Amino acid sequence: MRILGTMLLFFIVFPLVFVRRNSLFQITIMYITMIVAIFLVFIYAPTEKVQGIVQKIFYFHVSSAVTMSFAFFVVFIASIMYLWKNSDWWDAVALSAAEIGVVFCTLVLITGPIWARPIWGTWWSWDPTLTLSLVLWLIYVAYLMLRIDAHDSKRARFAAILGIVGFVDVPLILWSVEKWRTLHPKPVLIQEGGTTGLTSAMLLTFMVCLGAFLLLFFYLLRERISVLQSRHALEVLRHEIDEILAG
Amino acid sequence: MCKDSNSFIALMSGSKVFLQQVLALLAKDLKTEWRTREIFTSMFVFAVLVLVVFNFAIGADTELIRQVASGVIWVALLFATVLGLQRAGQLESEEDSLQGVLLALRDRSALFVAKMIAQMVYLLAVIICILPLCGIWFRIDFIACIGGLGIVFALGILGLSIVGTLFAMITLHTRAREVMLPMLFLPVSVPLTIAAVYATAQLIAGKSLGDIADYLTLMVIFNIVFFALILIVFDYIVEE
Repeated sequence: MRILGTMLLFFIVFPLVFVRRNSLFQITIMYITMIVAIFLVFIYAPTEKVQGIVQKIFYFHVSSAVTMSFAFFVVFIASIMYLWKNSDWWDAVALSAAEIGVVFCTLVLITGPIWARPIWGTWWSWDPTLTLSLVLWLIYVAYLMLRIDAHDSKRARFAAILGIVGFVDVPLILWSVEKWRTLHPKPVLIQEGGTTGLTSAMLLTFMVCLGAFLLLFFYLLRERISVLQSRHALEVLRHEIDEILAG
Repeated sequence: MCKDSNSFIALMSGSKVFLQQVLALLAKDLKTEWRTREIFTSMFVFAVLVLVVFNFAIGADTELIRQVASGVIWVALLFATVLGLQRAGQLESEEDSLQGVLLALRDRSALFVAKMIAQMVYLLAVIICILPLCGIWFRIDFIACIGGLGIVFALGILGLSIVGTLFAMITLHTRAREVMLPMLFLPVSVPLTIAAVYATAQLIAGKSLGDIADYLTLMVIFNIVFFALILIVFDYIVEE
C-alpha cells in the first residue's frame, strides 16, 4: 500500500515538474503543497499514542532522507552521463544535486537525533541507517571539497568519478554496517520500528510531506542549474571580451 | 575519446604488452624504493607510532587492549596507506615524470595496476614488520591464526591499494593534496575497514574462517566492484 502510494506520488510529481517550463506555476504548486503539508502534519494527523508530539518530526525526517537518496542517485546518473556525453549541463546537474543532497543529508542528521533523544534516550546510536547517512554525508562533503580544490581542467571529470564511486559504495556501506551492528546487542532503550504501523491519516500526511520535499528538491535543482549555466555563459562572454580587447 | 573497453579487453585476454608494461612500471617503482627505502620507512615508522599512541590512549588493561587490537592495527594500516600514497605521489609529480610514463603507455590502466601492486608490496612489508610488534605489545598470539589472518590481510591490503591508488591519482591534480587524499579515501573505504577489523578480531578471538565467511565475501565483492569500476574510469583520470 505504502509502496503503491509512493509510486503514485512520483508519477504525479514528475509530470508536474517537467511538463511545465513556467517557474511561477511550479512555485505556486510547491507553495501550496508545503502549506498543506504543514497543516496536515500539525493539525490533521493524529498524535502518536506512545511517542507523543515528537513523532511529528518523522514526516520531515523521512522526507529529507528520501530526498537525499534521490539527490545522490541524480548525482550518480548525471556523473555517468557527463563522462559519456562530456556536456557541461550534466556536470551542472551533478553539482547541483550533490549540493542539495548534502543539505538534506544534514537535515536528516539533525532531525534524527532530535527525535532519538526523547524516544531512544540518547542523541546518537550507531544504528545502520544513521551510520549510513553519516558516511554518505562525509563522502559527499568530500565531493564538494574536491570540486573546489581540483585543478580547473580536471574538476568535472574527477567529480563525476567520485559521484559514481560514492554511489556504488552505498550498498557496500549498508551491508557492512548492518553486519557490524548485529555483533553488538542493541541497547534496551532502542526500539526498532518505532514509526511503523502508520494510520491512514499519517500515511497521507507523510505522502504530502514527501511530495513537498521532492518539489522543493526539483525547484532548487532547476534554479541551481540555471545559476551555474548563467555563470558559465558569463565566463564565455568575459573571455570573448578579453579577446576582443586584446585583438 | 576514451576507450573504455580497451582496458578490459587487454586485461582479459592477458595481453602480453599490458603485462610487460605493468611489470616494467612495477620494477621501476620497486627499484627506486629499494634504493631509497623512503616510502616503506615512513609508512612503517608511522604505523609503529600509531600503535604506541593507541597503547597509551587505551591504558594498561590487557584484556581491553586485546579486544581493540584489530581495530588499532587496521587504523595504523589505513594511515600508513595514506602516508605511503602521498609520498609516492610526491615522487611521481617531481619533474613531471608521470607525464613521461603516460606518453609511453599504450594502455594507461597498466599504470594503475602497477601502482596498486607497488602499494600492496609496501603494505605487505609494513604488516610483516608490525605484526610481531603487536604480538609482543598487545600480548596476542598471531601464530595460532596466521592462516586466516593471511587471507584477511591479503584481501584488506588489496582493497586499500585499489581505492587508495584511485584517490592518489585524483589528488595529484588538487591543491591541498595532503588534506584531500584522506578525506576521499577514508569514507569510501568504510565497508572494507569494518569487514577487515571484525574479521581480524574474530580470528584473534579464536574463531575459524567459516565464522567470518560473511566478512570475507564482503571484502571480495568490494575488491571486485572497485577494481572493475576503476579500470573502466581510469582513462578519464589521466586523460589531459
